[in-house]
Formats: sequence, C-alpha cells, structure tokens
Amino acid sequence: MPPTDNQGSFLNRISIRRNQVVYEHEVEDLEQFQKHVADRLTELFHLPTEDATPSDPPETLLSIAWFRKLLDAFLCCEAEFKAVVIMGRDPTTFAKSPLDRLIPEHLDRSVKALDICNAITHGIDLLLHWQKLAQIAVDSLQQRPFGEGNVKRAKKALDTLLSSITIDDKENHHHSGKYTASKDQETIGNLRSLSYSFAKSWSASKQIQAMSSNLAAPRGGEPTGLVVPVYLMSSVLVFVMWAMVAAIPCQERTGLGAHSQIPKQFPWAHPMNGLQEKIAEDWKKKEKKGRSGLLEETQRLEKLGKNLVEFADGFTFPVEEEKAKEVATQVVEMGDICRRMEDGLMPLQMQVRELFLRMVRSRGEALDVLDQVNKITTPVPYNF
Amino acid sequence: MEPVVNDGAAEQIILRWDATASEDARVRMIFDGDRQEIDRYLQAVDQIQRSMDSTTLSDDGHQSTKVNNAIQIAMARLEDEFRNILITNSTPIETESVAESISSTRLTTRTNSSRSESPENDDCSNRGEDDAVSRDGSSSFPERSATFESCRSMTSIREQDLIPSESIADLRCIAERMFTAGYSRECVQVYGSVRKSVVDGSFKKLGVEKLSIGDIQRLEWDALNTKIGRWIRAAKICVRVLFASEKKLCKQIFEDLGTAADDACFMETVKGPAIQLFNFVEAISISRRSPEKLFKILDLHDSLLDLLPDIDDVFDSKPAESIKTQATEILSRLAEAARGMLSEFEGAVLREPSRVPVPGGTIHPLTRYSDDSTTPDMDFTDHEGQSPLALHLIWIIAILQFNLEGKSKHYKDNSLAHFFIMNNVHYIVQKIKGSSELREMIGDQYLRTLTRIFRQAATNHQRATWVGVLRCLRDEGLHTTKTFSSAGVSKSSLRERFKSFNAIFDEVHRTQSLWLIPDEQLREELRISILETLIPAYRSFLGRFRNHIESGRHPENYIKYSVEDLETAVLDLFEGYAASQHSRRRSQ
Repeated sequence: MPPTDNQGSFLNRISIRRNQVVYEHEVEDLEQFQKHVADRLTELFHLPTEDATPSDPPETLLSIAWFRKLLDAFLCCEAEFKAVVIMGRDPTTFAKSPLDRLIPEHLDRSVKALDICNAITHGIDLLLHWQKLAQIAVDSLQQRPFGEGNVKRAKKALDTLLSSITIDDKENHHHSGKYTASKDQETIGNLRSLSYSFAKSWSASKQIQAMSSNLAAPRGGEPTGLVVPVYLMSSVLVFVMWAMVAAIPCQERTGLGAHSQIPKQFPWAHPMNGLQEKIAEDWKKKEKKGRSGLLEETQRLEKLGKNLVEFADGFTFPVEEEKAKEVATQVVEMGDICRRMEDGLMPLQMQVRELFLRMVRSRGEALDVLDQVNKITTPVPYNF
Repeated sequence: MEPVVNDGAAEQIILRWDATASEDARVRMIFDGDRQEIDRYLQAVDQIQRSMDSTTLSDDGHQSTKVNNAIQIAMARLEDEFRNILITNSTPIETESVAESISSTRLTTRTNSSRSESPENDDCSNRGEDDAVSRDGSSSFPERSATFESCRSMTSIREQDLIPSESIADLRCIAERMFTAGYSRECVQVYGSVRKSVVDGSFKKLGVEKLSIGDIQRLEWDALNTKIGRWIRAAKICVRVLFASEKKLCKQIFEDLGTAADDACFMETVKGPAIQLFNFVEAISISRRSPEKLFKILDLHDSLLDLLPDIDDVFDSKPAESIKTQATEILSRLAEAARGMLSEFEGAVLREPSRVPVPGGTIHPLTRYSDDSTTPDMDFTDHEGQSPLALHLIWIIAILQFNLEGKSKHYKDNSLAHFFIMNNVHYIVQKIKGSSELREMIGDQYLRTLTRIFRQAATNHQRATWVGVLRCLRDEGLHTTKTFSSAGVSKSSLRERFKSFNAIFDEVHRTQSLWLIPDEQLREELRISILETLIPAYRSFLGRFRNHIESGRHPENYIKYSVEDLETAVLDLFEGYAASQHSRRRSQ
C-alpha cells in the first residue's frame, strides 16, 4: 500500500487484504467487536475476588445472577454483530464463498436456538415451582421451637422437591402420562412431563450437537474479513445455549458434556475455553447423580434439601441446641436462595424472551438481505 | 353423631384419619363417604383451627405444638382429599359437539354480536340483546353455539361445567380451611397440577400438537396447511371454552380466599398450555413461506385477531399479561409476514425475467402462480383493513398484465402474441370470477376492463390469423371484364386463389392445432367465431366458383376442402397437439 502525504487520499483509507478491498475503518470495527466479546467473557470467567465489593447477589459461576450477566453480554454481542457485519453492507458480499454457506448455517443455528429458548423458558417455570416448594419448607422451619407439625410439613414439601429435582429426564419420559404407584410419583411425573414443551423426540442435547457439528474454526487466509466475526457470533451463540441447557432443566440432555475448543489465536478463546472446560467438568461430575441441571441455586437447594430431610427424618421433639443452630443456619441459607430465585427468575425469563425476539428480528433482517442477493444473482424459479 | 365440641374430640377425629398412621385411613377417602362423616371432619378441623388461633397467644408450648401437629396432619389429609375429588370428578370438556359446530360454520361477514356470560342462553328470545357488548375494532364472527340445543349463532365465550357443583362445594370447603390454616400454597399446587394434566388431555383431544419451530420449518406446505386449519379450530375452543371454563372453576373454588388466589390458580393451570398453543402460531409467524401462501397466513392472522378480545377477557389478570403480550406480538408479526409476502409477490411479478415465450401461447406459469388462491376458506371480511389489500391486488394484476404484454412481444408471430394475451388475461378473469371474495375486492369495473382486454386480444388474434385466408376468398381481382359474368373469371387467378387458400389454411391448421387454449369454453367460443367468418365466406366462394374449377383439369388439386372438411379441421385448432392430416378424407 503506497503511503502518500495526501491526507484525504483514497488510498490511505483502504487496505488491500488478499483480493478483497476493505475499509480500514471496517477492519478496526471487526477487531473491536472481537475485543469486546473477549472482555465480556473474561468478566464472566474471572469472578470477583473476595477483596472486591461483592455484588448482591454474588455472581457465582452458573448462578442466576451470572446467567443474567451472560444473557446481557450476549445481547450486546448480537447487537454489535448486526451493526458491524450485517447492516449497510453490500448484499453481494453474502453471495460469495464461504459466506454464502456460513450465513445460512448461522441462521439455521439461530432457529435451533429459538427452540432452546422456549425449552429454557419452560425450565424456568419448573425452577419457580421448586422455589415455591422450598419456600414452604423454609417458612415451616422458621417457626420456633421446631415442632413436629412444621417439620412434617417441611419434609413433605422437601420430599416432593427432591424427587422432582433428582428425577432422571429419560426415566421420567416413560412415566409421563402413565399412573405410577404412589400419588406423589404421579404428581411429580406430571409436573416434570408437563414442563416439556416439545414432542417426545425433541432433545436439547441433539439440538446443541447439531448446532456445533458444522461450526468449524476458519483457517487462516479466508478471502473476506467477515468469516471470523461470523464464527465468533456462532460460537458465542452455541456457548450460551449450551450453558443454559446445562444449568436449567431441559428436555433430554444426554451427551451434553462435549464441547469444542476455540483456536488459541482468537482473543476471546481463552475465557471461552476456560468457561467451557469448567462447565463441562461440573457436568461430568453431576451427570451420574441425576440431571437437575447445574444452576448454582438448584445445586444448593438440593444439598440443603437433603440435609434438612435427614434432619426431619430423625426429628424428635425437642431438638438439642447445637443441632437447632445448625438447622437454623441451613434454613436461613435456603431462604436466601429462595429469595434470589424469586427475585431473579422472572427477570431471567424475560431476558430469555428478549433474546428470542431479538434473534427472530435479526434472522428476519438477515433473510431479507439474503433474498436480495438471490434476486440479483438468480432468476426466480418456478416449480409447479 | 354428636357435634365436635372440644379439642380432644377434634384431635381424635383428625388422628383417626392420619394416612401415615393407619392403613384404613390410607385406603378410604373421607369425601367418598357419607355426608355426616365429611361434616364431622370439617368441624374437627375448624375446632382445631380455633384452638390454634387462641393458643398462639399463650405460652403453653406443649399445647400449641400438639395443635400444630394436628393441623399439619389435617392439612395433609385435606390435600389428599382435595386431589382425589379433583381427579375423580373432572369431566373433560365437550369437544366433539363444540368442534363440529364451530368447524362446520362458514365464516361470513362480521357483525356486532351479543355476548353473554351465562351458558344457559339457549332460546332464541334470550339472545342477550340486552347484554350486547359490541367490541371496538374487530367484532366477532357469528358462530354456532357450543351447546347442543341452541340453534342460534353466537360468538361469545362459552363456559362449561367441568366439575359437578356438589364437588365444587366440597372443594371450596377444603380450600377455605387450607387457606385459613396458612396452607394455601399446597392447595394451589395440587389444584394446578391436576387441572394442568386435564387441560393437557383436552389439548390432545383437540389435536394441539407440541411442535418445535424446527419441526414446523421442515413441514411441507400441505401438511402445514392442514395443521393451520386444525389449529384455528382448536384455538377457538381453547380460548372460548376450555380456558374460560377453567377460569370460571377457579373463581368458584377460590374466589375471595386470598389475594387474587383464583387468578393464581388459573395461571398455574393454563399458563403452560396457553404458551404451547401460541407457540405454534408464533413459529409460523417466524418461518418464511413463499408468497402464494399469503392467503392462508391472512386466514391465520384474521382468526387470531378475532380471538384477541376473548384472549384479553380470559387473561385479564396481572400475571396473565405476558400471554396477552405474546398474542399481540404474534399478531403483528403475522401481519408483517403477510405484508412481506405481498411485496415479494409484487416484486416477483414485476421482475420475472424469462424471455422465452411460452410454447403454444398458453398460460404462463407466472399467471398461474399469481392467481393460485387455493383455499376455499379465504376470509376477507374486514373491509376496513383490507381495501389497501384490494388495491394492492389490483396493482399486482396490473403489473402482471404489464409483464405479460412485455412477454407477448417476444413472439415473432403477431397472432400468437395476441393469443397469449387472450389466454392469460382470460385466466385471470376466470379466477377472479371463481372467488366471490376476490371479485368483491377487485370490483366489477376492473373485471370488465380485464374482460374487454382479453376479448380484444381474441379479436386481434383472429384477425391477424385469418385476414390472409379470407383475402383468398374475395371477389376482387378474379374478374377479367367489368361485367361480372362467369365467363369473365380468370381461371388462372382462381386456381391461384384456391391454391393459396389451401396452403395458408393448411399452415394455420398445422400450426394452430398445436396452440393451446386450456379453457374449454374459450376454446369453443373462438372456434365458433372463426367458423362464423370462415364458413360463409368459403361456402359463398365455392358456390360461385367451383364450377370453373371442376370444369377444368385436376380439380382436386385446387378444391381440397369441402365446407364440412373445413368445419372438422377448425375443430382441431387449439387442442395443443398435432392434428393428424391423414385421418381426414377429402371430399370430392
């Protein structure tokens, strides 16, 4: 590129990249985009240390608060992607290889993501249900002294809660619609299966697998500078969906643990790979114990619930002071979680819905652009 | 049996029915038994509750624990009873009669209609004119009633009794006590879980499917078309009968028991199913379909629009707002999709680029594509919202015409160009006439214009083809002298004439047999028109001049056709396949 003294020279403002002429401005924009994503992911990966002022509620990995931050980040990312890659661009860009394949693939992924959003919305309803059950237990066990009536009431609620949490997705499928021996099982079965929004053949993990199967890192030297941002956007999309499915009860999640590595040359590879590894690790650990999901609040509800049920099983009146204090602490903790769930789940559900609507909109706009491309390059075919 | 007067007696009764303690208590249900037993139990609960309220003020820990205990046992028991009553007494909604009556109704023009809350409005006089509430904006379609007896059309919400009233009374008794004792959450949850599975069952009966957006994208149009129709029918029943009935039931059991308890129960029951119902139409509003599916999408849009006031009605509580929002969003997205399809359609018509003329001048695929309004259930009754649509359609037809004119110029044969226009514009006219809605929208005046166009094209074609033929049959140029006597006819000119006629006619016959007029009536009309000009001219020509030929050598070389032969030959025209020359005998 010949440097010139002339400030306003056309040549100054363009750079030749391979055979493609792009505007320097644009290259910057695309790099900024990657950097922003990297920054946001890093924030989500490196959680605040104890010295820093803790947020309330704390954004522990895979907690409700963390997810709200994640979805927020995704929405920003998506908006930037649209602005930098799609808007105001010459539609014929998308007709050229490999974008002519990559963009439709990305759009296909977003359809699957829409279904996942719907499944997650249902899953959140189930979480709210669990919260209500836990709340009953909390309220009962806050009465002093611990009385048999209250303990039994709490135990009943916790039994229902734990059965619902630990029930296996697959197992439950076979029970849905059939009446099992005890009344409680039937109710639980109903609760779980009724929270499934799709036909029995739909599987969240299969959707994720399908989304990631054709997601390949671009090799160096692609003719257009847009391939990387598209790869980035797709990767983030798959990651967010994957994380949500791992955390929130969802229809059929066998084999979810697998994930693919992002090549290290990208600035956002490190936090994303890090997050993926951590989450996959957790998933493997918890997989055997049942698939309630990795949501931090669920995990803690389960743990506390088990402890409290144990207490309730062995309950005799009166309770000795040590034990009473221990139980009281746990009840307070459970109450805390319930509050966080009550406060955070509805907003989270609304965020998921917003994600859904945003993706619908973007997809429509992208399809409009693609239609323009098709009209320019091919005559309208008529198949009758 | 004596009334329950003291705590001791009350406690006994409650303990007796502790399902965790006795086999008998587990197996039998109180509310299945006799009324006295039920009343005693409820009294016992009330007694204990009173005890509870008074002892909380005292410091007697032991007593209050006992009471607490008893309450918990009673509440657990009542929860089971509650569930049992719900399960054993729930009657599924009547879908057959309702579905049939709604689906058999042809949706006609919208009118303001009366709405009535009571389901017993069967007789004609009680049509509820006094209760008439006309809706702003969109009024409802008249529909068949949901009850067997009524023959009246009605559009309103129709609640059905899902549970016999005695059971409802029992349920309310239980609910009251559970709420008073602070066990409202347990009560709501049991209610919600049982009712939700009943609603689920009704959904299955109505054919509401759990399809994902991906599933719907992959469906072929025919399958999707059917599902849309089914959804429209089911949605009406779901909103106006099913959900409305559930809402009524919640009111009957839970009204005034706690802050908006009945609303909470209702949402607990129907939120999931309602979302499932709307997800289907949401998926359709998202997916892309080619423009000719426009009318079905409009159908769907209109049905949802029609349901909107009832949706607003049924989902009027705060927690239900998200459902109303979703329905509105979907509606606007459907409208947007329809608009998009319309513009795309328009663009396609304008831009259709092929320069290859359609062989045989028959109907261009584009014309067919433009007019492929396949569904007989088209619904264009909202004139307010649709005159822009009508104008738009007319505009599209105008563009189509313009495009067709352009195409016709690609034909080297002028006559074929006119023929092409005739075919295509006639097709458009037939399609409009075939649909009363289309006709009403497009209007008779424009229809007349189009008719004039194709008739003119027919005339132009006929003239272009036959002027040459007919010129052979004229008098001028055949007479050698001024006196018009037969002796003055130039035999050579006459022979030339006959030869020309034969040649040109043969050519026309050979070529234009291959041309196609798909519409039978138009084909007949054109042939008759041709015969009406051709036959008299030929007959007259033959009559005047055949003697001259027959008196000379080889008359058969010159007079190839009799009048009957010509008639037969003209019948070969426009069939679209080659007429066999050999099958015709030449009459001598």
